[in-house]
Amino acid sequence: MKCFIYLIMLILTSLLSSCASYPRLISLPFDPGGQSLNSPAAELTPQISGRYIAFSSDRRGTQDIYLFDLETKNLIDLPGLNSLDAIATYPSVDADGRHIVFAASRQGRTAIYIYDRETRQSRSLTAALLAEVRNPTISADGSRIAFESNAGGHWDILVYNQNGELLNR
Amino acid sequence: MINRFWLQRMIHWSLYLCLALLVACSPGDTNRLSSSLHSLYSEEQPALSGNGHDLAFVSNRNGNQQLLLYNFPQAKFIPLPGLNRPHNIVENPSLSYTGRYITYLTSDYGRPVIAMYDRATKQSQILTPIYTSWLRNPRISPDGRYVVFETAKSGQWDIEVLDRGPEIELDLPNGVSVDSSAP
Repeated sequence: MKCFIYLIMLILTSLLSSCASYPRLISLPFDPGGQSLNSPAAELTPQISGRYIAFSSDRRGTQDIYLFDLETKNLIDLPGLNSLDAIATYPSVDADGRHIVFAASRQGRTAIYIYDRETRQSRSLTAALLAEVRNPTISADGSRIAFESNAGGHWDILVYNQNGELLNR
Repeated sequence: MINRFWLQRMIHWSLYLCLALLVACSPGDTNRLSSSLHSLYSEEQPALSGNGHDLAFVSNRNGNQQLLLYNFPQAKFIPLPGLNRPHNIVENPSLSYTGRYITYLTSDYGRPVIAMYDRATKQSQILTPIYTSWLRNPRISPDGRYVVFETAKSGQWDIEVLDRGPEIELDLPNGVSVDSSAP
């Protein structure tokens, strides 16, 4: 009888522990040479959309934007995005991985840029905005871009479309 | 006889006392929201839902730091009952595709934890109850299954991905077929 109770307890425990396996952490690649997601340098402000993780890292001496593909477990090349004279922060990618929005500081001025992986070009969304800007984010469908601006003496949230038109005045 | 009256009076008084205590403890009008997206206070850390319809952010407009959710098509704030609690701060909001899942950073007895609010059940749960390192900047995937965040476990900021599992209800746009293969 005692054996029987122990058996039931064992089965119950194993059942319960198998149910509790989620949420769990995914094992992610680490590369000391900086060719993968994590490296000995800092990886900052990751954002996930579909199969892509966008993040910034200072692994090559300047803080740059990187894009990681969760399906192939590889970094995706972003030609023309990063430059040596700019510090890029807060990347955000849409679900099909085509557009990356980020903040970059160049020559003392920070602007919000949108990078198109097909044309391989970045475009400033805030060239006409005389204010400090930060914390950009793009929706997964790519339709809207939101960021903070301090034009009013405090941080306000502005929402733009991809053409740089303000939607929430 | 006198004793009975005395007891009745005591019950009356204790009732009044209880009522006064209850009134004093009930929080003020915390759902008072101005209908405008902009206020005279700082609004920070914007997060868009995957379809672009909802905007979550952190605001000081009601006298304490709150996570607010604004819906563009309806042009109004969506109430989030049970998310903002007194004597606690929430930060770094992020939204899934239709804004059903909201992840954010908060503290559990002073320890930073990632929590997730489900607008369908109107309840929050802590996603990292036993995580032992410092963490920050959580972001949920549009389908709601994965949460990426920064971890300090290697001595510098690294990226960690939390998988909520194949059993959750995914937050997908209408008409999308469900592909069960995990990355």
